[in-house]
Amino acid sequence: MTSRTMKKVGRRDSSAPSAPRKRTRRQIRFVFVIPATLFIAIFSVYPLIQLLRMSVSDVTPATLGSNWDFVGFSNFSKGFAEGTLGTVLSNTLVFVGIVTVLGLIGGLAAAISLRGSARGTGLLLGLMVFIWALPPVVNGSVWKFLLGNTGLFNSMLGLSGASPIGYLYNQHLAIFSVAIVNSWAVVPFNALVFRAAILNIDPEIFEAAQLDGARPFQEIRYVIMAAVRPTTLVLTVLTVVYGFRSFDFIYVMTYGGPGTVTTTLPFLSYVEAFVRYDFGLGSATAVITVVLVIVLAMVYARSVRREEREL
Amino acid sequence: MTNKRKSGKVAPVVRGLLFVAYGVPIIWIVITSLKTSGQVFNTGWGMIFFSPNITAYTKNLHGALLQAGLQSIIIATGTCVLVLLIAVPAGYGLARTTGRIPTIALGALIILQMVPQTATVIPLFQVFGSWGLLDNTLGVVIADTALLTPFAVLLLRPFFRGVPIALEESGAIDGASVWRIFRSIVLPIARNGVATTATLIFLISWGEFLYAVNFFLSPGRYPLSAVLAQQITAFGIDWPGLMALAVITSIPILVLFVATYKQLRDGLTLGAVK
Amino acid sequence: MWFKEEHHLLGVTRTSSGLARILSRKGRVALAAIAAASLLILSACSTTSAPSSSATPSQITVWHYTIDPIQAKVITAAAAAFEKTHPHTKVNSVYVPYDQLQSKLIAAAAAQQGPDVVLFNGGDANTLAAAGTLAPLDKYWSAYKDKSQFPDSTLHYYNNKLYAVQGVVDLVALWYNQDLMKKLGIAAPPTTIDEFDADMAKAKVAGYKGLTVTGLPNDQSEWQAYPWLTHAGFSYEKPTVASLTSAFTTAQSWVNNGYLSKEAVTWDQTLPFQQFLTGNVLFAENGDWQAGAAKGAKFKYGVAPLPLSTDGKLYLGGTGNAIGAFSKAPQLAWEYIESGTLSKSGEISALENIGSIPARLDMVKDPTVTSSAITQGFASLIGPNGAKYPSAAIPPKNVAGVQLLVGQTWSAVLGGQLTPKDAADKVMSGLNTLLKK
Repeated sequence: MTSRTMKKVGRRDSSAPSAPRKRTRRQIRFVFVIPATLFIAIFSVYPLIQLLRMSVSDVTPATLGSNWDFVGFSNFSKGFAEGTLGTVLSNTLVFVGIVTVLGLIGGLAAAISLRGSARGTGLLLGLMVFIWALPPVVNGSVWKFLLGNTGLFNSMLGLSGASPIGYLYNQHLAIFSVAIVNSWAVVPFNALVFRAAILNIDPEIFEAAQLDGARPFQEIRYVIMAAVRPTTLVLTVLTVVYGFRSFDFIYVMTYGGPGTVTTTLPFLSYVEAFVRYDFGLGSATAVITVVLVIVLAMVYARSVRREEREL
Repeated sequence: MTNKRKSGKVAPVVRGLLFVAYGVPIIWIVITSLKTSGQVFNTGWGMIFFSPNITAYTKNLHGALLQAGLQSIIIATGTCVLVLLIAVPAGYGLARTTGRIPTIALGALIILQMVPQTATVIPLFQVFGSWGLLDNTLGVVIADTALLTPFAVLLLRPFFRGVPIALEESGAIDGASVWRIFRSIVLPIARNGVATTATLIFLISWGEFLYAVNFFLSPGRYPLSAVLAQQITAFGIDWPGLMALAVITSIPILVLFVATYKQLRDGLTLGAVK
Repeated sequence: MWFKEEHHLLGVTRTSSGLARILSRKGRVALAAIAAASLLILSACSTTSAPSSSATPSQITVWHYTIDPIQAKVITAAAAAFEKTHPHTKVNSVYVPYDQLQSKLIAAAAAQQGPDVVLFNGGDANTLAAAGTLAPLDKYWSAYKDKSQFPDSTLHYYNNKLYAVQGVVDLVALWYNQDLMKKLGIAAPPTTIDEFDADMAKAKVAGYKGLTVTGLPNDQSEWQAYPWLTHAGFSYEKPTVASLTSAFTTAQSWVNNGYLSKEAVTWDQTLPFQQFLTGNVLFAENGDWQAGAAKGAKFKYGVAPLPLSTDGKLYLGGTGNAIGAFSKAPQLAWEYIESGTLSKSGEISALENIGSIPARLDMVKDPTVTSSAITQGFASLIGPNGAKYPSAAIPPKNVAGVQLLVGQTWSAVLGGQLTPKDAADKVMSGLNTLLKK
């Protein structure tokens, strides 16, 4: 925290007499961040540094304990040279796109429809939280059965005489199936958070809108959407991050297959690091994912600064 | 009261769809838990009509399960408390400060979450090894906290930003210290967000499995999340057992949810804005 | 409810959420106290900082991956056998989920920790030895009086040092549904690939499936594909595009003809056998360890050799026994291995509880082996068709890469993404790099 930053903050304050007091206040508020910073610095940053170091080194189980040979960017180029990285990148973008869009829209729709105390709201919320809290191995296995050749969906299809659809083994469908299941698993989380934000809206605003004759759809569009904007921003970030990290569902349902059709970056990274035991290669793939997310992080940071200027 | 107003005709349809989308898998889980291994692969109507039995439950309800359950409670509670202790102030601090450093901090929090959890096991193993935290519940709690703090801070920040700054300013004018303002004015208003975050942290750390399996080194120390994974062995998967355990291990979560639901449901603002 | 009680404790009159009370002034103190208490409880609950890898002579730690109550009898039997001869030493058997065992060992080794004994999938010995997680066994092995009982395929060397020994052998064969065979008018299991095809065709016509195999894109597919690859003339010593193309053509024909469901690409080795047990499938390529699960079948079943040519080979897998590199009592660890899983009684225990075939040569004629048709069915294949797993032609550091490449390609062939020729080319070009010494 530099004094230069503090002076900048001070200058932006509107009321001059209280400027010094506000400046001290903002400084003090930053102190609130210290415990978390310390903790993260020790336990989260160190693994990140190790990841970065591994991505530019030759690290296998044999060399893990000793000094790592620096290999520059060859771990990265190896990924591109082997030819799989292109497919994996597009798989990842499709996957993250679906999970984010469906997860956010589904979560918001669920939150809006669950904000009241209509009958069954509590039960439904409980069901959704129950599902969300189940480990991916359970949820993934359930869907693996439901989507299988003799599962629920194909059995119903069979009643009408159609032949089964290979949701998980058709090379064109598989990625969508896994992404949709993953969105389904994420919706309860988004719903809970959106709901908390919606419940924070001052009831007076709703009353005023109703007095103005607003219909439910307008209520949603103008009152709710505006109020949940900061939450939407954060949930978008968190959902995208989740999409870029998620590999448990893929692991359980298709193991990246058939072939490599459902292999996304996090799954590839896992396979490279813990199946092929090439930690350097796996770290490089993870770093590629991090770089993609940095773009997102910058967008988020910029909009955060914009929203502060609006205050 | 806004809660009582109907949200139009679409809401019940959405609720109906959600009931199906989340109810059917749960029904499937419960049904499977009542089957024998052979019945799991019944096709056609045999999927729904079969003679149920509770072997999968009785087989798994034994002393070791209670021990694992206790371990899960300790880990989840400890993580929740520790995360709240450091993330709640941090979320507030980042909500109320501007400048480049907080912005960079937010970006860093996002990037930190991108480190695959599997990639953190080895460095943490070394750190815990040298600090004597291996085979130690506190070690797992610390690992889970490190995993979830960035997430919690990012999640809490918008809730703190939702607290009207006018309230804090009026508190300042009344002569309250920053800490006092935080405790007595800001926290009560942001409690929905804090409670929601706390619930989510508890749930996530309850189900966390990778650190628990790797950092516990002696028998009988695994929490429930690892017991669940035990149903998937090298030799075969006990489907009824897996589903029965999924039901059993989720019951404490349901209890927690029911207990806190009233709090999460009401969501009253204090009316102090007026 | 806990939260509501806090509510009253703090003498609150307002009826808002309990959690809000906790977070207000007095509640903050309470929360801090709870936090402090929790941390105290946590440290009390934790063990002393002595890692369990340390083996003071009063205990040794064994890491294994067997959790099923029946199969775990092997572990408890081995512990009992050891504790009987070592009354002052306790055995701590620690279960680690199969998927996590290797990575946990490697992570622990990076922190200079580890168990005294490791029981793991023998084929992973190279990776574990390379990672420095295992201690060389040479000096114990050379002094071991029964060492001549163990065939070469059960010994795992790395850099010319012995690191693991198998007490048992696991391999695959053709499980068949005897009742279904009778119904279809098939007198005996097929001995040639043409008979195999014809039998499966009969099954299909009658509305059944012909075969289940593994198609998941990982090492399990490579393990199950190997017999068919070698049957077509392939070997890692001399790989050829022609043999690969032939093998992949055969495999893809099973799917195209409707004998094998394309869903196989989502199956590891457990699901296809569970499908077989429903009674709707004629044949299953699967292993001896399914003997326990097979007992639940509602039909008569048997085991026959896979209908391979003389070139056809079967991988000889099995649980490997090793001493941890950071063990403080390697001598005791060796004695555990000796009296446990390498002994005759240990092998019988593994046979009875898991189905694995004893590796010792003096067990070949043992009644426990010869009296069971299933066991004998597998055991008789070890000599003529057995092959070392993994193949010695693959450089140790590339074993995982080769298994993944072949496994993914097998999956792509079954799933129809690659033609047999393209698949063969893909594997060949990959092997050209990976097989280089």
